[in-house]
Amino acid sequence: MKAESNLKNVLTQHNFAVTAECGPPKGADPVVIQKKGDILKGYVDSVNVTDNQTGVVRLSSMAACAILRQEGLDPVLQMVTRDRNRIALQSDVLGASSLGIRNILCLSGDHQSFGNQPQAKGVFDIDSIQFIQAVRRMRDEGLIIGGEKLSEPPRLFIGAVANPFADPFDYRVVRLGKKAAAGAEFIQTQCIYNLKRFAEWIRQVRDRGLDRKVYILGGVTPLKSARMAEYMSRQVAGMDVPDNIISRMKGVDPKDQRREGIAIAVETIMALKYMEGVHGVHIMAIEWEDVVPQIVEEAGLYPRPETSRE
Amino acid sequence: MITAERKPLAEIKAMLAPYRKILVVGCGTCVAECASGGEKEVGLLASALRMDAQIEGRTIEAHEMTIDRQCVYEFIDKLTEAVGRYDVILSLGCGAGVQAVAEVFPKTPVVPALNTTFIGETKESGLWVENCRACGDCKLGYFAGVCPVTRCAKGLFNGPCGGSKNGACEVDPDSPCAWQLIVERLDSAGRSDLLEAIYPPADWSKQQGKGPRKIVREDQRSES
Amino acid sequence: MDQISAGLNITIFFCRQLDINQDKNRRAIEKELGPRVRFFPLPCSGRIEPLHLLRAFESGADMVYLIACPEGACRYREGNLRAKKRVQYAQKLIEEIGLEGARIELINKTAAMPANIGAIAKELLARDAKVSTSAVRSK
Ligand code: SF4
Ligand code: SF4
Repeated sequence: MKAESNLKNVLTQHNFAVTAECGPPKGADPVVIQKKGDILKGYVDSVNVTDNQTGVVRLSSMAACAILRQEGLDPVLQMVTRDRNRIALQSDVLGASSLGIRNILCLSGDHQSFGNQPQAKGVFDIDSIQFIQAVRRMRDEGLIIGGEKLSEPPRLFIGAVANPFADPFDYRVVRLGKKAAAGAEFIQTQCIYNLKRFAEWIRQVRDRGLDRKVYILGGVTPLKSARMAEYMSRQVAGMDVPDNIISRMKGVDPKDQRREGIAIAVETIMALKYMEGVHGVHIMAIEWEDVVPQIVEEAGLYPRPETSRE
Repeated sequence: MITAERKPLAEIKAMLAPYRKILVVGCGTCVAECASGGEKEVGLLASALRMDAQIEGRTIEAHEMTIDRQCVYEFIDKLTEAVGRYDVILSLGCGAGVQAVAEVFPKTPVVPALNTTFIGETKESGLWVENCRACGDCKLGYFAGVCPVTRCAKGLFNGPCGGSKNGACEVDPDSPCAWQLIVERLDSAGRSDLLEAIYPPADWSKQQGKGPRKIVREDQRSES
Repeated sequence: MDQISAGLNITIFFCRQLDINQDKNRRAIEKELGPRVRFFPLPCSGRIEPLHLLRAFESGADMVYLIACPEGACRYREGNLRAKKRVQYAQKLIEEIGLEGARIELINKTAAMPANIGAIAKELLARDAKVSTSAVRSK
């Protein structure tokens, strides 16, 4: 029997899941990934690997996932539709499964104009929801887009993202419903700083019964400094950092701001833990992976549950 | 209409460098409407080229002609008599116009003066916006008359990305988020059912064809 | 040195609304300077086309003025604002061929200026020359 997704096991066995994000390096060195994997091992259930995030060229998500897998972690392969057409996407889905990768997160991706290849042609042959649907059909029916049969279906736990803080607000939950209907099984959200708005969104999610259709992991990003909080609030599209968070960060001495950022992250996780309809957290510590164990411990989420993987 | 913008003069000059007698040809249709290749623009460009040559001590001859459409042979025919007297045709037509002229006069080099930009509408005078990519399979009926292929920066068919904020697109805050418009308009038209439906992958073969696409209409063709 | 002594040819486009006797009022100066100064009355300064401005240089002008009504006082409301943008467009274009943009100048008439196009022209011609003769005609 081939290994299953650890994330899936943790969630189906009714545990509060913890995932973390790992950004691959801008170079070919596998050791960077191994090191990040070492830090996270044992503290999280699965590790997401970003796919050329913000349109910046990095070591491929697929390769990094394969490396993490060798290190004994359960990787979540992020795949964006920005860079690959349906031929390449479906081929990589098969490839990922053959490498023992058991989780996939389907996204549209940041627009190429934000990255370091702004002259690149944005592919966007299919969108994230069409991609989710395609992967689900590949897995459950063994069929690719167009209906041709696969000799062996991929084995993947299928995820998607949601941003409760973007507009139009009331449509956000409709879109989540579409992702669930397309076949997503777990959802990782945009980083949460505005808990009030998030709570309002999750209420809408519950009203539609979507929390019983998909597992929802709330996104958490520890702030490193007041400057980062201000930058995210102003410059990063789709991010909602309310003033009270910014002033709280500003209120402490710069040398203690990291500590404060960690405290906010831990408090957010505690709040999410007791929020009905939330099934876990996804910690995105940007270029700060080594803080994850501390956050997990302080949030009382360590040790992680043992699931039978084989 | 097809919109276009004039190339920088330096680029046009570089292409024209080997030639002395220039036939500057405008088009009276789309590019005239968007003020890039009509009679006035032909006049401006020809005048600028003549003065430029004079400043540099070169002599050129730049003759101006504008025809109704550069993409239809019967109009291009009007150039036939003049073409032989010139070394080069500088076309202010759209890409289709330039190619049609080149097709009709294979012995005379044809160079483009414009960068053909998009299919769009005149939003207000002096403002043109792109709103169709000629995908060959118009989907506007499902999207409240707002094209997701063209007006959503990521071409999304199933709802707004996570960057839509206050009605603006995350990629270009000066452009409205197409999906904000689609959601609002479908809602107000009582078609929120379309907002819940999953729109399947597009058939891009209708846009890309097998190389250049063509339309054949037997009823419109002449017998010969 | 004033512009005429500097050997410059001047072209003046102007809004006819500025001076109802413009025909008569410019006759003396036209007679005195001949082709060195040329007047082009427009029904409104907003009717100016970049092409007019370029043609003026092609026919030998060194300096081109467009005289418009005071901002906010255009009979056709926005004519003089449009004139401003057209002038800017033409300035960019002549800069592409290496002529100074300053060779085209938009002048919004003020209350201090005479309501006589001949007198306005005199004042303009008496200004210090900012440019030398244009390379378009000097070769
Ligand atoms: S759906 Fe296709 S044909 Fe219709 S407006 Fe958009 S690009 Fe043009
Ligand atoms: S903000 Fe709106 S228009 Fe821009 S890419 Fe996202 S969904 Fe498309």
